[in-house]
Amino acid sequence: MKRNISKLELALATIIALVLVVGLPVLNATDVVGNFTINLWGKYLCYGLLAISVDLLWGYTGLLSLGQALFFSLGGYMLGMNLMLMIGKDGQYYKAGNNPNLLPDFMVFLGHTFLPSFWRPFNSFPIAVMMVVIVPGVLALIFGFFAFRSRIKGVYFSILTQALTYAAYIFLLQNDVTMGGNNGFTDFKRILGFDIRHPATQRGLYIATALLLVAVYAFARWLTTTKFGLVQRAIRDSETRVLFSGYAAANYKLFIFVVASTVAALGGALYVPQVGIINPSELATDKSLEAVVWCAVGGRGTIIGPIIGAISVNALKSWATTKYPDYWLIILGVLFILIVLFMPKGIVGLPAQLRALFKRKPGAPELAPVPAAEAANAKS
Amino acid sequence: MPLIPSLSANHARAWLRLLAWSLCSLLAVLPLRAADTARQTIAKAILEEDADKKTTLINSLVGQTDPIIPVLLNTWKEDAIFLYKIDDDHKVPVTLVEGKDADDKQAAVRVDDGQPLTDKDGKSIRLLASDLDAAEHDSNLRATMKGVLDLLSLTDPNRDKRIQAINTLGMSQETEKLPALLKLQATEKDGKVLRALREAVALMQLKDEKPEVQIAAAKALGAMGSIPSRDFLTQLAKDSEGKPEIVKAANDAAVAIAAHIKVVNTVSAAFHGLSLGSILLVAAIGLAITFGLMGVINMAHGELIAVGAYTTYVIQGLFATGVVLQIPTFFFQPYTLRLSGMNLAGTKLDNYFLVALPMSFLVAALVGLLLERCVIRFLYRRPLESLLATWGVSLVLQQMFRLTFGANNVQVYSPAYLSGNWTIFDVILGWNRVFVICFAILIIFGTHLLLTKTPLGLLIRAVTQNRTMAACMGVKTQRVNMLTFAFGAGLAGLAGAFLSQIGNVGPSLGQDYIVNAFMTVVVGGVGNLMGTVISALGIGVIDQSLQQILLNPVVGKILVLVGIILFLQWRPAGIFVTKSRSLEG
Repeated sequence: MKRNISKLELALATIIALVLVVGLPVLNATDVVGNFTINLWGKYLCYGLLAISVDLLWGYTGLLSLGQALFFSLGGYMLGMNLMLMIGKDGQYYKAGNNPNLLPDFMVFLGHTFLPSFWRPFNSFPIAVMMVVIVPGVLALIFGFFAFRSRIKGVYFSILTQALTYAAYIFLLQNDVTMGGNNGFTDFKRILGFDIRHPATQRGLYIATALLLVAVYAFARWLTTTKFGLVQRAIRDSETRVLFSGYAAANYKLFIFVVASTVAALGGALYVPQVGIINPSELATDKSLEAVVWCAVGGRGTIIGPIIGAISVNALKSWATTKYPDYWLIILGVLFILIVLFMPKGIVGLPAQLRALFKRKPGAPELAPVPAAEAANAKS
Repeated sequence: MPLIPSLSANHARAWLRLLAWSLCSLLAVLPLRAADTARQTIAKAILEEDADKKTTLINSLVGQTDPIIPVLLNTWKEDAIFLYKIDDDHKVPVTLVEGKDADDKQAAVRVDDGQPLTDKDGKSIRLLASDLDAAEHDSNLRATMKGVLDLLSLTDPNRDKRIQAINTLGMSQETEKLPALLKLQATEKDGKVLRALREAVALMQLKDEKPEVQIAAAKALGAMGSIPSRDFLTQLAKDSEGKPEIVKAANDAAVAIAAHIKVVNTVSAAFHGLSLGSILLVAAIGLAITFGLMGVINMAHGELIAVGAYTTYVIQGLFATGVVLQIPTFFFQPYTLRLSGMNLAGTKLDNYFLVALPMSFLVAALVGLLLERCVIRFLYRRPLESLLATWGVSLVLQQMFRLTFGANNVQVYSPAYLSGNWTIFDVILGWNRVFVICFAILIIFGTHLLLTKTPLGLLIRAVTQNRTMAACMGVKTQRVNMLTFAFGAGLAGLAGAFLSQIGNVGPSLGQDYIVNAFMTVVVGGVGNLMGTVISALGIGVIDQSLQQILLNPVVGKILVLVGIILFLQWRPAGIFVTKSRSLEG
């Protein structure tokens, strides 16, 4: 892996960033690209952020977290609370005259008359945005502190994060926690005073997402080339040796876990206003695994890979769910098995893999080479 | 001896008188007794004008065993007994027979003898219901009928019906029915019925006028731990203010019953916990082998459970009326496969489950074998990637279920021997739960024997401990892996057959169990069957107890998950740790 960023990569990244941040919105404003497409790409880029967060943990640190969808959704929920309160006088119950305190409709439906106290700060947009970072970050800090302190790693970490997500899932499904229960939050009207359905607002949200993605890309790319990034990869390849060299591996892992969770949460916060709904199904077990799929398809251990993976798998999904609704899951499943078996480096690693294949004698085994990291982690 | 003849004459006269009297009474009584069957009594009661006499006639039915009595009384209550006028003075009560002809007319049956209604020539008469008057009844009469019916069902030959009738009477606290209960108590032999009788009698005696009887009854109820009597006892305590002995007895009894309820709830929670633990264990035991022993994270384990459950469904279909499967043929019209069934019913149909058990094991083992050969054998050294690839498999399988069996849950019928329950001291033990506990014990024992006492078990242990070393010693590790995985998958299938009796069978069946199954294995400690057993039972019992205490299943579940995360702080490798000198373990 290259330690420094080559000029070619810098140039390519700049071009792609410009296309995403400036090109698409301009085309949209001039009606060349439809509103639906810009919205779709906004969604893909949010998924890209989620995929980067998985990759920072899995690809660079060897921590396969099956809980990133939890942080993504939590970020979404936090912003969603603000959006729910901003519905204000457009709510159905207010119009019918049953909601003088301007509660979100679902609360009136459940018989509440006053806003629960923990909802009140969310009337302010800046506080909601702060919460988007703080709540998932603190949760990651607490969970990570306990998990890494007792050196839970490998498969155990995966299963525990999955359990955490599952616990949060059944928790949010309840009506008593006043987070919308099964239906979650939806029917948003405005964000920061702008009509949320207006194409210009959606374009603004898209630009914000693209900017954030570029920033996160640059940050992650920088982080992984620093000394911190080296220790990170050393932990992935042999944690014991890192420990014996005198590094507090747990602190490094904790830091990257909190950073990755915050990235996922920011992605979720931008996802919700663009999709217009957030409910507990976003943190079902499948969603975290799906994010891992994007990462694996694009190529883990690189920063661009997860973005490519998130966009390509979701584009495939958009196409297949309309064309072959019955077979979409089978396509995804088979694709995933094949990629794990035969393309461990994903799309990004494909050129190198093909080159190696042509260099070898014909008839060479097409089995995927075992990456050092996994071989070391394997049960002996 | 003038006295003697007179004496003998006196004697003779006395005898004669006795004879005459007997004859008279015989003449008076016999025809009446012989003629008045239950049907005739009811017919008379219907025609009787005087309300008191009507009530007396109906009450006279008590003690008769004719099964027609409840039928006719209920028909009367439902306004389905009609009065047919022969002439102005004579009416005949009739019931109409099902089956209307073209004119909506129905054949009629006389209430008094059960024969078809005929005219003078013996031709049967058909009547129109709307032309006739229904036999009348007022609320008084209905109450009488209900009382008679209640008392009649006390002698019902069916034990459960008898118990139910006794309980109803007891709860009604109608003290005038007490003698009937006491009479029954003298003749009844069945222990359960006797217990119900004692309870009912004591309940009625709570209404007694004598305080000592009331106190004795309250004490008896307390000693019996009679749960339904709790409200009556509190009522009694409220009603008998100023009589401290009664209040004290009633309160003492209520306290005793509350303690009994606590015991019952605790025992029920323990039993439910045990059965939930067994379910977890059955679901996790296959995983304990594939994950615990082989180190393969099989996310498709849940779907292997579903394979077992669907196999049970298909076998059931084959025994009953057949099944229709939509075999997906990728991108073409699905092929509809119709399997005709054997149309069995009753106990013969119940036997399907005995066939389904081995079949679900075999089918799931076969799927597991295929999975191992095609996917997993490439990933033994990459556990995290086996997680991802098997998740892909689980997606494919789930969608296949959805396409083949439909997206909705399918109905799996429980055989009679799994759908009943035992009630022991108010604790309900469902047979399916008892069965799953026994089954879990059996599976654990069998797996333990297989691993420790057979040559295959030795090889499995050798390969799982050190694959390379085993290969060097000439063990065919590939074959052992294949068999071990197939065995684990088969156990998952077996679990599916059982879970089909307890929960829903649908495409996402596996998803309901997978997280918990992994938890169970992780908490138990990888590579240790005993740890899995303890953790499954522990999680099951704690989950049920928390539900009992918090009265909120979701919070209980969340607490269990959080508890597991904290538990792993304390013992990161589970309850039982496999000791190893290797650093990367």
